[in-house]
Amino acid sequence: MIPFDFEYYKPTTAAEAGETYQHLQEQGKTVMYYNGGTEFITLARVNQITADAIIDLKGIPEVRALELQGDLLVIGCSVTLNQIAESPYFPLLAQTVKGIADHTSRNKITIGGNLGSRLAYREGVLPLLLTDCKVKVAGGRSGERVVPLTQVFEKQLNLEPGEFLLQILIDQQYLNLPFVHLKKTKHSKVDYPLVSVAALVKDKAIRMAFSGICEYPFRLGEIEEVVNNTTFARKEQLKQVVAKLPAAIVDDLQGSAGYREFVFRNVLRETIDALEWAQK
Amino acid sequence: MTTNQGWKSIGKPEQRIDAVEKAAGTVKYVGDFAVPGMLHAKLVTSTQAHAKILSIHTEEAWKVPGVRAIVTGEMFPYHIGPILADRPPLALEKVRYYGEPIAIVVADHEYQAKQAVQKVQVEYQPLPVVNSVQQAFQTGAPLVHENSGQYMKIISNVYPVPGTNIGSHIKIRKGDFQTAWAGCEETFEATYSFNLTDHVALEPRSTRVEITPSGKVVVHSCTQSPFTIKKVLNQFFNIAVGNIVVHAPLVGGAFGGKGTIQLEPLAYLASKAVGGKLVKLENSREEDLITSPCHIGLQATVSLGATKEGKLVAGKYTFLIDSGAYTDQAAGITRAAALDCTGPYNIPNVWCDSYCMYTNHPFATSFRGYGHPELTFAVERTMDQLAKKLNLDPIQFRLMNTIKPGDTSPTQVLIDSNNIGDATKCIERAKELIAWDQGKRQETAEKKVRSKGISLFWKTSTTATNAQAGVVLTFEADGSVNLNCAAIEVGQGTKTVLAQILAEKLKIDLKDVHVTMELNTQYDPHQWRTVASSTTFLAGRAVLAAAEDAIMQLKKTASIAMQCASEDLDVGGGRVYLKANPEYGVQIKDIALGYKYPNGHTVEGQIIGSGKYVQRHLTPMDEETGFGKPGPWWSVGAQAVEIEWDPADYSYKILKAVTVLDGGTIINPMMATQQMRGGMSLGLSFASSEGFVFDQQGIVQNPQLRTYKIMRFGEQPDEYIVDFIETPNIDGPYGARGIGEYGVIGAAAALANGLSAAAEVELNHLPLLPELIWKAKQGKEVGQ
Repeated sequence: MIPFDFEYYKPTTAAEAGETYQHLQEQGKTVMYYNGGTEFITLARVNQITADAIIDLKGIPEVRALELQGDLLVIGCSVTLNQIAESPYFPLLAQTVKGIADHTSRNKITIGGNLGSRLAYREGVLPLLLTDCKVKVAGGRSGERVVPLTQVFEKQLNLEPGEFLLQILIDQQYLNLPFVHLKKTKHSKVDYPLVSVAALVKDKAIRMAFSGICEYPFRLGEIEEVVNNTTFARKEQLKQVVAKLPAAIVDDLQGSAGYREFVFRNVLRETIDALEWAQK
Repeated sequence: MTTNQGWKSIGKPEQRIDAVEKAAGTVKYVGDFAVPGMLHAKLVTSTQAHAKILSIHTEEAWKVPGVRAIVTGEMFPYHIGPILADRPPLALEKVRYYGEPIAIVVADHEYQAKQAVQKVQVEYQPLPVVNSVQQAFQTGAPLVHENSGQYMKIISNVYPVPGTNIGSHIKIRKGDFQTAWAGCEETFEATYSFNLTDHVALEPRSTRVEITPSGKVVVHSCTQSPFTIKKVLNQFFNIAVGNIVVHAPLVGGAFGGKGTIQLEPLAYLASKAVGGKLVKLENSREEDLITSPCHIGLQATVSLGATKEGKLVAGKYTFLIDSGAYTDQAAGITRAAALDCTGPYNIPNVWCDSYCMYTNHPFATSFRGYGHPELTFAVERTMDQLAKKLNLDPIQFRLMNTIKPGDTSPTQVLIDSNNIGDATKCIERAKELIAWDQGKRQETAEKKVRSKGISLFWKTSTTATNAQAGVVLTFEADGSVNLNCAAIEVGQGTKTVLAQILAEKLKIDLKDVHVTMELNTQYDPHQWRTVASSTTFLAGRAVLAAAEDAIMQLKKTASIAMQCASEDLDVGGGRVYLKANPEYGVQIKDIALGYKYPNGHTVEGQIIGSGKYVQRHLTPMDEETGFGKPGPWWSVGAQAVEIEWDPADYSYKILKAVTVLDGGTIINPMMATQQMRGGMSLGLSFASSEGFVFDQQGIVQNPQLRTYKIMRFGEQPDEYIVDFIETPNIDGPYGARGIGEYGVIGAAAALANGLSAAAEVELNHLPLLPELIWKAKQGKEVGQ
């Protein structure tokens, strides 16, 4: 049980959400936006977070969108992982989010919540990083703004105070490209990743994004250069990619760094092997 | 009309009598009850694994609205425990494990108690942490208990060694090990280990206690040991036994974890602190995992010596049992592992040192199998590795050495045709079911490896030497029977089994037997705890005794009504009738409450059947040699697994899991099969993915189900195959022995044997994670 009192607000527009946030902040209260609530509830009951007020975003119409609007696939931040998993629009994203948690939890976890997660994995972002997508952000001083995802996501979601992710906008051309998603865990399929990879091929070049191997999810141009350099032997490619990882390989409860590297090499090899036909 | 044909219940797969209510979700467990005016208690627990408590400041906690009392260790500065009284209910002067209860906050509402707990400030002075059994065993190791020599012994077979971390040292000395070992032609030795794990029952522990103005202590608890709660409150808290009433409803799973007494005394102290008001104390999942006791860890070294033909001659077993901060039932497990240390094999020369070790880990209690899954892992891995050395098939090697009538157990009990199941038949049947002869290790077309692993095991029920059960039967006006017995329904189906035994004996329909589901110690006959796979045996015999008593009374009343001799009558089909002319009889419903003559005179009154059964001829073990008779019989079994292992990434899948058990007559084959499946699930989960992880300071890193991983639905073996060999036992009800725990016992060993064969590397440590197999293949250091 959550052992502290907190206020609950459910605005009906994005602007109202931002105003409520600002208003509560001015009163000196700690405020949090939330969607599914899985993180808020599970962390609050073990005293790892507190808040004076929470703002439920699910009353804002745009957050429930899951549809094609012209050339764009529009996904609202409150769309649940199961809704995405069961939708036909973007198979790579559907498969990736399916691996994030068990079915019951996926009924509540939202894509916005996963991108904004306090846990480092944020696997939902991996396919998005491959699609040059944009996001619509709201609630801050600048009001609603549309920016490339990479402008507000670097290791984690970095927004201005009072801002929240409203929608994700993905250009159609990326939705049905050849793809691979692989996730390796310690043992059970339902667990945090040792290594999670999402990959697709655009214009004969493989794009890859990773989670679990380092402390944060990432996509690196240098790694893709190596992977798309077909003059290298596979073994050489694996060696170079490992050398180019942006941070130390994680060593934790899920697995040691040595074992993670072993798993990473396997996953990398499997991914490139599966997509090399599309590089030609 | 003949009435004694077709009334068979033994051996029939009757539907469980608690199935409908459980499926409908209308069953209420202890924690489901809310009583107006009930107060709530929450525990302040230690954030250190080993530290002196310098001070406990409660001023801020008292400021939380609704707080009624805060209890700390000085309110009860004594030690309790079921075998060695070494544990203060609330930490006194120092804490010995991460999660140890330090104080209780009582408040009007649960959230207020939880808030106040956060505000209690404890000042610690850290002490050096004993973080493993190896470290605990070293001379000069920091001491978890400085005064273990002063603790009261509750039973005789516990031997602490003061000045060390040895909570108990149990010895087996049979034959002449040293000489025999020197003469062995072939020997093998290896060391095995695994860390502490947990029961993870569906229902977290919960209790509520009140003290009435007249001094009666009323306890509601999800316990396996209602009468032990009375004993503890009497022995340590000085309350007259007759003034303690314990209620136990259906329990939501236990696996041994609810056999010991921890929350009830805390709830009692909490109630006392608020003038006897009703107080509820319930564990969160995290508290259930580490504050309440868990399952032992182990480091075992097994050495076996044989002739070059493969006949076992000598065995040496050293068990270092991680008991955590307090001995609790781990001291009993230490003894149980010693007395059955060889496994079901004939070994004439046995040397065993079983040590119950103190560490600064959460303390351990009984866990399904009580020392046997643990010893079986070590013994069965050794059997496989010695078989390899001898160049013998692993099953052949076992068949050559199975214990038989005429041989003796490690404690020198003579095995006869009545007191043990048939290990040979079990392993031969398991061999068929796993298709052993069709290849033990094969590579598949998809470049995976399929392999099989096998294990053979036994267990005796080491009950107290005075363990007993009692049953009372009353009759309704319609001739149906109420069966009243203090067996606890923890999901094992005991109520159904006892009902079937009664239905068979009285020759009535199962639907005419009403078993009391809940327990009240004030009117239920005394019964030993529902543990040790002993309830069908003890309570089943008591049911039969009570039924015979009821039958005698039925015949007496009927003989008056029918004007004939009792001896000429028989009971069955709801009637009492003349053996010679079965059509001539009376309905039970017309005599169950007495017989009324036509003129109104009434004789005999109601039938009240009562019966009991007490263990026969059990003894404690000799301190130096272990000689003694600790249990009434052995059930035996064989288990096997078939796995598919991926050599590319070391992951694996369990395809088939087989259990063949000889537990005597099987009363309900459907329920017994489920018991075996559930046991395999528990054993395979334990072996494949469970284990607490400690940092350098002894802090548990995974005290949540998010990070303490158990087998999920969908991860269980594709196929569970169960079969039974039924070698009857003369003493058991209709020939039944005990079977409840056995599905767990050989699972870890079978899985480790199968994976070792697949990966072609010896896997001697649990859990069998892919990373562990990878490390072993790399030749890296594996283990604690």
